Amino acid sequence: MIDVRNLVKEYRGGDGASIRAVDGVSFTVAPGEMVGLLGGNGAGKTTTMRVIATLLAPTAGTVMVAGRDVRDDPIGVRRQLGYVSAATGVPDRLTPGEVLDSHGRIHGLGPHARRARVADLAEALDLTGYLDRPCGRLSSGQRQRVSLGRALVHDPPVLVLDEPTSALDILGARDLFDLLERLRRQGRTILVSTHRLHEIERRCDRFLIIDAGRIVADGTRDDLVRGDARGLEEAFFAAVAPARPA
Amino acid sequence: MTGSRPAVDGRWTTRLALARSDLLEFVRDRRALVITLLMPMVMYPLLALSSTLGIRTAISELERQERSDQLTLVLSGPDAEGLAGCLGIVAAREEARPAGWPEPLLIKIAAADEALALLDAAAADAWIDVPVGTLAALAGNGTTTLVPRFSTSRPPDRRVRELVLDAMKGVADEVGRERLRRAGLPTSIVEPLRIEFAGDTPTGQAGEIRGLVPSAVAAVLVLLAVLTATGAFYPAIDALAGEKERGTVETLLMSPCAAFDVVVGKFLAVFVVTLATLLANAVSIVLTATVLLRLLPAGAVAAAPAGAAASCITITVAAYIGLAAVAAALCLAVTAASRSAKEAQNTLTPVVMLIAALAGSALLPNAAISRWVAAVPFAGQVAVARSVLAMFLEQPADGSGDAGGAGAGIVVRLAASLIGSAAAAWILLAVTASLVANEEILFRGPAAASRALARPRPRLRPSIGQAIAAAVMGVAALWYVQGLAPSDFATALMAQQAVAVLLPLLAISWWQRVDAGETFGFRWPAANAAGIPAAVMGAAAVGSGLFVLGAAATLAVRGSVVSAEAAGLARQLVDLILGGPTWAAVSLLSVMPAVCEELLFRGWMLAGLAGRMPTARRAAWAVGGQAAAFAAFHLLPERMPQTFALGVVAGVLTLATRSLLPAIVMHAAHNATPVLLVAAATPEEIDVILHAGRGLPAWIVGGGLGCLVLGGLLVTAACRGRQESEAWKPSVEDDSRTC
Repeated sequence: MIDVRNLVKEYRGGDGASIRAVDGVSFTVAPGEMVGLLGGNGAGKTTTMRVIATLLAPTAGTVMVAGRDVRDDPIGVRRQLGYVSAATGVPDRLTPGEVLDSHGRIHGLGPHARRARVADLAEALDLTGYLDRPCGRLSSGQRQRVSLGRALVHDPPVLVLDEPTSALDILGARDLFDLLERLRRQGRTILVSTHRLHEIERRCDRFLIIDAGRIVADGTRDDLVRGDARGLEEAFFAAVAPARPA
Repeated sequence: MTGSRPAVDGRWTTRLALARSDLLEFVRDRRALVITLLMPMVMYPLLALSSTLGIRTAISELERQERSDQLTLVLSGPDAEGLAGCLGIVAAREEARPAGWPEPLLIKIAAADEALALLDAAAADAWIDVPVGTLAALAGNGTTTLVPRFSTSRPPDRRVRELVLDAMKGVADEVGRERLRRAGLPTSIVEPLRIEFAGDTPTGQAGEIRGLVPSAVAAVLVLLAVLTATGAFYPAIDALAGEKERGTVETLLMSPCAAFDVVVGKFLAVFVVTLATLLANAVSIVLTATVLLRLLPAGAVAAAPAGAAASCITITVAAYIGLAAVAAALCLAVTAASRSAKEAQNTLTPVVMLIAALAGSALLPNAAISRWVAAVPFAGQVAVARSVLAMFLEQPADGSGDAGGAGAGIVVRLAASLIGSAAAAWILLAVTASLVANEEILFRGPAAASRALARPRPRLRPSIGQAIAAAVMGVAALWYVQGLAPSDFATALMAQQAVAVLLPLLAISWWQRVDAGETFGFRWPAANAAGIPAAVMGAAAVGSGLFVLGAAATLAVRGSVVSAEAAGLARQLVDLILGGPTWAAVSLLSVMPAVCEELLFRGWMLAGLAGRMPTARRAAWAVGGQAAAFAAFHLLPERMPQTFALGVVAGVLTLATRSLLPAIVMHAAHNATPVLLVAAATPEEIDVILHAGRGLPAWIVGGGLGCLVLGGLLVTAACRGRQESEAWKPSVEDDSRTC
């Protein structure tokens, strides 16, 4: 469902020099698979996800989402993809109901389809208790649910979530990952990044570890841990360490 | 669940949905709503009340002045009593009094020092020390001069002067009639015409106020333009910078449409709020004007036919709809690069000044009648509204007059204004879309906002932005130096070059740390020693020839028709040349501007615009751009074609030789040619040059053309060696390497 081949992304630095944030990344995410993208700050996670979400144009390489190329058909990709990032906010003066309804309109849903969709999402995301309350008066967890609901309004088969739990407490994070698991079971393809390795250790089908713009490990939890009782966190350190100078 | 197709598709669905969402948010922001929509409803009545108070005070003053027909005149001198008798005779005969005769006229006879004391104590309005022989002169056929004096401790009063004049005119008329009688001539001999107005005498205050109305209306139109534009501020800030601040911009850009559609959706929301602001302002102005008309004296504003006011309001609002569109698009474009609401507010501050300046420029004489001005954003709408209001205010109440012709002209200007607004708004939206889609702007850090203003690393040449900045600084400094420069022409010229050219150049050069040799072309124009004098002589010949051909073309096109400013400048130049040694005039008018202006325009500006190895296309744009700035720098429209040509030739010389020296020599020769001609001419010949406007003789034009061709050949030959080695040749790609 997501196919990344030799992705390179360069930025222009403050002094005009080129900075390579992603350096030849390749991976795939199969339909219905939930994959965790792990990496430290500045490793290239966000840049990779933004390219997949069509927010950044790739410098080189190809990225396909649901059979559509992000470079050739970005609008087609957006119709197939829901995106939530750590920095994603919601409008303070609108209610969750209005946020979902507005995004239904933006995606061209008719009045009946919108009403049904908002009701479904409110039920699925447990928004019914505060559907008519301005978002500015909601908690961080509630706002993140609204944000996720907004990404799901157009019923996309692919979800890309960039550190969706960074602003949530431990309970909120657990609820959100429970929700993602449910979405995965419904058939969605999910690519999620997080620093909370223990939370997703048992939930993702596969993990990609990225460091300095390159994929340094790709496999299931068992592949990466290889019987080490200390779990995914130690496997992450082991994968990242060779790439770093002592 | 799978990706189902949307029920309704289309770009406009998305655009309208984005606009609806933004509007919904704006309506919920009560504070912005009150400021945007309710403020005008309060502001105009307050303005009207304060201005009405001012008008009332002005009327009271006028009435006081008009009521004050009393004059107390103190006379001194040996013939004072005789003159007082003459005044008494005129005062006693009503038919002898001229219009404006003081009523009552009080006369006091006093010694000179006592008269002065009376004047200073405000016991008398004026004092005349009647000279000896006045009565004799009046009795005979002589003329005597009277010198009325007024108190120096009080401000001069125009009304008192008029009353003294009318009183003395009464005496003079009476004496004149007596002289005619003595000579046996009829009084009609000195009164060939008598004017008697029919109808009611207009009241002074209404006339005075009517004179104020067009100015007041024009000021309100500028205010309306600025306030309408401010209606775009809050929604524009919220539309893009607000999205970034809230963290919703990524979601926004995930909308299934192009960046331009997102921008159009945002624009629609901002435009609707701006339109609402316009309507709130318009309604408030109309209601306030209705109240104001009741407060002003009868006849203060011309009565217009019913329906004309409605048409006037409709056309004004229609023109301002275009203004609202441009304001909305401009505010979006300016805030698109901002990362936060605070940053957006800062960037919008200069926009207010720009809008106010453009709107205010429509108040310049003749701006309201030009179709081209009508198409200029902000100025055009005010100009259209001014012209329609002028027609409304000047139209007779009975509907007579050429309303049809004037109406057609206004419709054309309105159409030009709307087309200009639509084009400007569309361009601004395209610019905004490119900014929104720009990754560096979208995801840049907070420090990047001021990156353009940071002191850069040392580099070979200035950037395009820095090149333009120097020219803008120069023109701004030139504007200010006009007001500060000393009255002496020669000193003013030096101050102008120092403040408007050298100072900005030094400041920006120091800040930008460019390579002076590379930027200013400090190198010889030819590869070998023999080529250098050839290049210099060739450049001098080109400069002289260019002046002669430019002067011939100007005379052929314009003749002797020049503006007062141009004629005044020519006179000052001639006076300067003839008033001192020729070498001083050549230094001041030729060498100094050539060095200073070439450093700025062909040095700094051309280096920045062209880059190090420009393509032929970029070189052409760079030469044209700096020449246009050079022409604009000379302010006088008459001089701009010739200065533009001079800028183009100097730019080509600089690029061809990679040296500034030929351009400096060419410029100096161009300016020195008229100096030397004037210095050698006789006064009669100078008068012919300044006023006759005859074309130049063919042999002079031929000589100029010959100089141009010969000079061009010499320069080409001189820089051939350099061209083969290191000189510029059009490249395929620009090279903007730094040191």
